[in-house]
Amino acid sequence: MSEASLIGLFVATVSFGALLYLAALGELLAEKAGILNLGVEGMMAIGAVTAFIAGVELKNPWAALAIAMASGAALASVHGFFTVALGAEQVVSGLSLTILGLGLAAYLGKDYVGQPPGAELVPVQWSGLSDLPWVGPIIFKQAPIVYFALLMGIAVSLVLANTRLGLALRAAGESASSTDSAGHSVLGLRLGAVAAGGALAGASGAYLTLSITPQWAEGLTAGRGWIAVALVIFGAWRPGRVGWGALLFGGTLALKTRLQTFGVDFSPIILSMLPYILTLLILLVISVRSRKRPSPAPAGLGFAYRREER
Amino acid sequence: MTHSSSVIDGNQVAVHLSDVWKMFPGVVANAGVELCVRRGTIHALLGENGAGKSTLMNVLAGVYRPDRGQLKLHGQVHSFRNPADALSAGVGMVHQEFRLIPSFSVAENVVLGSAPSLIRPRQLEAEVAAIAEKFGLRVDPTQPLWQLSMGERQKVEILKVLWRDASVLILDEPTTVLTPSEVDELAEILRRMAQDGRSIIFISHKLHEVSGICSEATVLRQGKTVATSLDMAATDAAELARLMVGSSPVAPDRPEVATPGDPLLELTELRASGDRGIDAFSNITFQVNSGEIVGIAGVAGNGQRELADVIAGLRPSTQGSVTLNGADVTTASPQQRFRAGLGYIPEDRLGVGLAPRLSITDNAILRIYRQQRRGPFIVAEKALAYCQDLITRFGVRSGDPHGPIAALSGGNLQRLLVGRELDGQPSVVVAAQPTRGLDVQGVKAIQDLLLDQRKAGAAVLMISEDLDELLTLTDRLLVMEGGVIRGEFDPRTVSRHEVGMAMLADTNAATR
Amino acid sequence: MTRRPRLDLRDQPLVGGQPLAFGIGLAIALFVGTLLLLGAGHDPLKVYSRMFEASLGDPDAWAVTLNRAVPLGLAGLAVAVAGSMGLWNIGAEGQIMAGAIGASWVARIGGEWPGLILITVMLIAALGGGGLLALGPAVAKAKLGVNEIITTLMLNEVAIRLVQWLIHGPWKDPDAYNFPLAPMLPEQAHLPTLFSRAHCGILIAAGVIVISSVAVKYTAWGYELRIAGSSEATARYSGISLPQKILTVLVLSGGIAGLAGGVELTGTADRLTETLSNGFGFAGIIVAALALMRPSGVAVVAVLFGAVQIGGQSIQTLGVSSSVSTILQAFVLFGAIGAGVLSRYRILFEGEAQPAPEAVDK
Repeated sequence: MSEASLIGLFVATVSFGALLYLAALGELLAEKAGILNLGVEGMMAIGAVTAFIAGVELKNPWAALAIAMASGAALASVHGFFTVALGAEQVVSGLSLTILGLGLAAYLGKDYVGQPPGAELVPVQWSGLSDLPWVGPIIFKQAPIVYFALLMGIAVSLVLANTRLGLALRAAGESASSTDSAGHSVLGLRLGAVAAGGALAGASGAYLTLSITPQWAEGLTAGRGWIAVALVIFGAWRPGRVGWGALLFGGTLALKTRLQTFGVDFSPIILSMLPYILTLLILLVISVRSRKRPSPAPAGLGFAYRREER
Repeated sequence: MTHSSSVIDGNQVAVHLSDVWKMFPGVVANAGVELCVRRGTIHALLGENGAGKSTLMNVLAGVYRPDRGQLKLHGQVHSFRNPADALSAGVGMVHQEFRLIPSFSVAENVVLGSAPSLIRPRQLEAEVAAIAEKFGLRVDPTQPLWQLSMGERQKVEILKVLWRDASVLILDEPTTVLTPSEVDELAEILRRMAQDGRSIIFISHKLHEVSGICSEATVLRQGKTVATSLDMAATDAAELARLMVGSSPVAPDRPEVATPGDPLLELTELRASGDRGIDAFSNITFQVNSGEIVGIAGVAGNGQRELADVIAGLRPSTQGSVTLNGADVTTASPQQRFRAGLGYIPEDRLGVGLAPRLSITDNAILRIYRQQRRGPFIVAEKALAYCQDLITRFGVRSGDPHGPIAALSGGNLQRLLVGRELDGQPSVVVAAQPTRGLDVQGVKAIQDLLLDQRKAGAAVLMISEDLDELLTLTDRLLVMEGGVIRGEFDPRTVSRHEVGMAMLADTNAATR
Repeated sequence: MTRRPRLDLRDQPLVGGQPLAFGIGLAIALFVGTLLLLGAGHDPLKVYSRMFEASLGDPDAWAVTLNRAVPLGLAGLAVAVAGSMGLWNIGAEGQIMAGAIGASWVARIGGEWPGLILITVMLIAALGGGGLLALGPAVAKAKLGVNEIITTLMLNEVAIRLVQWLIHGPWKDPDAYNFPLAPMLPEQAHLPTLFSRAHCGILIAAGVIVISSVAVKYTAWGYELRIAGSSEATARYSGISLPQKILTVLVLSGGIAGLAGGVELTGTADRLTETLSNGFGFAGIIVAALALMRPSGVAVVAVLFGAVQIGGQSIQTLGVSSSVSTILQAFVLFGAIGAGVLSRYRILFEGEAQPAPEAVDK
């Protein structure tokens, strides 16, 4: 086990952590507003493929990122329309969205499989800081999207806690009727949250094809969308905790391919079960604790809201 | 229509509703209603259940749009599209069901809907505290709402309206969740608001409560205004009651004095925990004898709901015992207690007593389906026959028995529920808030059913927030407050004041 | 003043609403699909007629479609049974795998047993495997109230990885030239055929669906299920033990999904693979939702869904990429979802209440 490989492990941990964090933040926003969106895999895939295509065609990684976020938001809005405007069952709509997203991504990307990337977001250099031992490569030599993820985490935190919009959004997830009575548009808040969530999931997908594995192939998302859903619960719907959880789960992803180099004789497949099992355990702990106080889950999560006239 | 004051100064009028009509499918809730509220006054809006008071106020508050009519606020005509419109024009309403968010703090609840773009929590809390202070509302803005009692939550609702600087405040039956001392507190708060130039409309169907607080009144009956701008000081209670009910109030039939028999329900040192782990009630010891109705008076939130649940077997007790017809049922299941002769009418009809998404027939056989089985199967014809029988005997107005239970009106739901429970001729009946929210006929029907049971020798325990009902119907009256029995009274001789004293809260949030 | 539309619950759902919903979904999908196909340079008419031929055109097509309907139907039934009680079993995908693992294990130890016995025991083991995987979430929900959506969802991933690990590790076929493959099933571990390529799994699935429908609708057990699904408090009030019900229903649901895995293994597949569940678990959720969580509706929806899937696969030979069929499926789903909502609600514009002339006492 060399120092270089250990550093490499941590670098990958932060990298994968950011990947998961972006998608999880998006899901957190939607769920805080009361909408469960199980279509994260689909949105990530759309983000990944549109970023790749935009990169090849436009040669500009930032434009590619922007397009990926817009695509993610657009796809998420389909789910938003059905669940918020029509009040359809959120579980079913979300799963349908995954199917749609994955299918659409495969369709759009079929001519781009195996092609070399047109644009990449390479790790940045912070003068001086990037050359520090250990801390340098791990924290200061990541792709720009990693810092974007961190920024988003802070932004989401602040917006939720310290702005009128954040208060309204949280209220929509706790009690849609009270929020409606208070004069806010539950429809607008929820649609917006779902779309924003889609944008972040799209960014997460873009991170894949613009940095981590700069190429397109079907199935690139490989189940990480489900980890993002798990992460939100693991972090008890708090952006800070979700961030730490993202690092933890990112670590398991990073470790998976490196077990052999560390000489550890443990099946990487079993290791990849870890995020899901950990989430289950945390869920049990939360449930036992919430006997005395309200559960951290938004009270109205999963329920459609329709204003009645009587 | 009766007017008491001949000239109403336009400047002085805060609210003027004229010829307001509001209709719903199958019912005209408001038919050409007139209402005139003067600035800086506390105005009572009186009427029986179903007279159209809440509907009218919902129109004023922007929840409903009137089909016809004019709404003038401080002399200006308005047309509200939604509650937010009404709030920005200065009209705020405190509904019976609170629109609050349990996991938010008091301050967050107050400012929801009109918070500044950037929220600095400490600053906000200070501002909320300042307004609370000004009007005498004692709440801690940092406290999470789920910890607050009903009375305290009502204060938060009032704060919400004050935060928006409402000039007109509407309160819909606010005293149902308050103890007598809390009612006094509310009165003081309202007076301060009136002195501040704000106008208050106080909806109630309880004359004696509003007479001390309100200076003027409007009476609605069956969707129409029968009197407006009445001077409360100059009008006596009997006249008001006549206006509300439409004829001289007939003294309700008091049942003949009971000769109670053996105790059929005995509670000994009973104690149980509430939802938050602390005691909901403790040290409960009393009996209900055959052929009598024992009432438990008290404002909601003092352990009555939990007590009813424990007697019915829906909640475990932590100490003490429950005896039914001489048999100890302390650890028996609800179904076992039913078979032992207990009928339970829960206060939550469509959520506990009846399954909301199932059919009428499905709900009718809830207690006896096990007996109707043939092998593993439920026999559809038997179920239907049983349901039809209940419907006929208890006067339930329903359509197709296979239809959804949610299609029944409140009164008919309760008739079905009560009928189902009483069908087995239970020897003990526990009725929690049995007439709440029903119209005049419904109330009478249910009360008659309970009196019939009493005559047949059953032991009836009646828990109600309606003190008048209890004073009229019961043979013995217990008062429950803070989870203990605070006194036993003879309803024929006790004064309301004595009962009220017993209900005095020792406002310690820990016991709630 | 603009009038905002809102949704109002109909007094009675539109008659034939749900099949109509599916039909509308199909129509929308065909429309969108036409655009997609034209955009990609294909002839929509040719594509659709091929889809129909391949799925419902002749007995051979029916055979393939019915085979596909089997796991869809059983998974759908699993979800619908749990759904009748208001519980969401999102773990059918993993439970199918768990069932397949159970059946494979029996096949490994019972390679010499006669066919009928071997298959029967395999299917029982499949039932057990699925039920076992659902046991954790069932207990967590029954005792602690832990939301079953997430617990079952997480175990999907665990079960799938379990299969991967088995195939790459202890169950790796020594004769497979070091490819990670499970060994082929014994000869006799295949369900007999019914007609053409259709296998007996169809009868098994049909039988289980019929029994479940009857149970939910006509038995006391089913009645208690529906009460518990409608209101927990009412269930307790009438003496129904909620934890017990939750436990039995979730485990049963998992078992049925596991059975789907076992039937798929012995019917269509010839060995345990990582892709055995093939999205059936998730599709089952949608099948159940389209059938309004009624076991009686699952069969028809499953056959239709199967036709859509088989038809979608068949057009690949015409040069249409498989993603198009996936997209078409998604549009069918969304179309059906939307139409389903509209069959139960109608659109009203605010301020539209019809006045009644006489006053009626409430």
